[in-house]
Amino acid sequence: MEIFVQSVVSGVLTGSLYAMIAIGLTIVFGVMRIINLAHGEMVMLGMFGAYWSYTLWGIDPFVSILIWSPLMFLVGMAIHRFLLRDVIPKGELNTLLYTAGLSLFVANLALFFWTGDYRTLNLPYAQWPVRPFGIAVPIALAIAFCMAIAITTALYLLLSRTDIGRAIRATAQNSQSAALMGVNVKRIDTITFGVGTALAAAAGVLLVPSLYLYPTVGEILITKCFVIVVLGGLGSVPGAIAGAILLGLVESLGAVYVSVAYKDTIGFVLFLLVLLFRPSGLFGVGRS
Amino acid sequence: MKHILAAVGVLILFVAPLLTNNSFYQHLMIMVLFWTLLGASWNLLGGFAGQVSFGHATFLGIGAYTTMLFYLSLNMSPWLGMIAGGVLGALVALPIGLICFRLRGPYFSLATLAVAEIVRLVALNWDQLTAGPVGLLITTLPPLSLGGHAVNWESKIPFYYIAAALMLFATVLTYAVSRSRFGAYLTAIREDIDSAEAVGIDTVRVRVSALVLSAFVVGLAGGFYSVYFRYIDPDAVFAISLSVEMVFIAVVGGLATTAGPVVGALVLVSIAEVFRERFAAGHLIFYGLFMMLVIRYLPEGIWGRLRFLLGLTR
Repeated sequence: MEIFVQSVVSGVLTGSLYAMIAIGLTIVFGVMRIINLAHGEMVMLGMFGAYWSYTLWGIDPFVSILIWSPLMFLVGMAIHRFLLRDVIPKGELNTLLYTAGLSLFVANLALFFWTGDYRTLNLPYAQWPVRPFGIAVPIALAIAFCMAIAITTALYLLLSRTDIGRAIRATAQNSQSAALMGVNVKRIDTITFGVGTALAAAAGVLLVPSLYLYPTVGEILITKCFVIVVLGGLGSVPGAIAGAILLGLVESLGAVYVSVAYKDTIGFVLFLLVLLFRPSGLFGVGRS
Repeated sequence: MKHILAAVGVLILFVAPLLTNNSFYQHLMIMVLFWTLLGASWNLLGGFAGQVSFGHATFLGIGAYTTMLFYLSLNMSPWLGMIAGGVLGALVALPIGLICFRLRGPYFSLATLAVAEIVRLVALNWDQLTAGPVGLLITTLPPLSLGGHAVNWESKIPFYYIAAALMLFATVLTYAVSRSRFGAYLTAIREDIDSAEAVGIDTVRVRVSALVLSAFVVGLAGGFYSVYFRYIDPDAVFAISLSVEMVFIAVVGGLATTAGPVVGALVLVSIAEVFRERFAAGHLIFYGLFMMLVIRYLPEGIWGRLRFLLGLTR
């Protein structure tokens, strides 16, 4: 029983971080109908940003998120404005391949500068024993979880309460109608891409104390992300959150009760089953 | 004009390895042929039918492992094993196609990526069959004599001609498909799948057939890979980056063209070699950059544009 609760806790904690990455991917898809294969590399850049600011300047990752996510917001806007915007009209297949090229480019540039070494960032307080009710809670992951909830809530408020948020949702529903209602769709696209990138990078920063980092880490993260958004339904933010928690749970329970070696496989099998039987996602809110 | 170009191509293909004794250049030529083969088979599905697969390494790996395992445990000749690899690749493609082609466009691409990851993880963990990350090794190839002469497997020339034969096969196959009714179905699916369905094309069946055909050729290539390098492990033959490189070749060369993959492979192997000397794995940076530039400024690919400039389009 204790093991079960333990793995549920760690599944939910990890799932919350997956959720941030997946929300970034899903809102970009919702608004622009593009699947950004370079999304994982944005997480990777966030991770390395946090790693270097900690190693070189001693800034705690949970503080340096204040630097990296706004910076990556600008980077994301620039990527959309200068690279993607002119490619998107060439069709979704070309856009998909273009982002695959971008992903390859960024990941291997990082590999060139930072080598393929596995690095870890050890926070001095990460080892503190926190055991409420006898369950070990990894403290770095717990802080990351709280911050992920705060950021997701902030995003929810942005989307539901502000003019920009309404414009983003309107564009996601129907970009032509939104344009007719006076929404500057091009600007909204750029902003949305920036928000998606910032979320990915923020998740990367939060993940750094709990995960190995290496330049091609984006590859495994993006595949997980696809599993999540398909589970939850592409384009749906609540679906992405639910899918992420579900994947987190499946992975941690699978590692305990099935096999550590196959824990990643379980997620992919689940993914295929959902694609087959419920292509609009488990909760029927996405678009297939 | 087209026929002259094809004839010159075949002539170059046969003469090329005799021009140099340097085994490094011979190796490069073999790599160009190998990647042409992969690009051409990916192109059958991705170019003509517009179904972008990010999981073709699956079939490469299956072909490679089939050839290797049949040789090591059943002592089956690797040349037969290569064909077995193609057949097994095609067999595996059948259920994969039936599953993944229930989806369209980017969803299909994501599904192929997931399948490829599942297969890679299984290959990595199924120690009894694949020896896991340790990989499989062939020390000697069975002797073979051709017209009374024993073939020297230490030389690269025999491998060159095997690769050339495979590549010719793939190119002729691509050409035949592009001229056939089946090819027209594929194009119809690429251009507008709903209309294709409306005029009575069984789109699932046609797409699955294209995938099976494509997987057969990739499986053959996988068999060749295992015999040529004599060593395979899951991360060498099931890697996602292999799938992406196949896409790269077809896109850079020109989607849905017969000669595109040749051009793509020439560009790819040259970039790889030029940059490999300077930075270790740095050539992938330039693949990525090149892919972005081509899609942005030359979406029809290098050969796609050249063919237009030379007036070779029908």
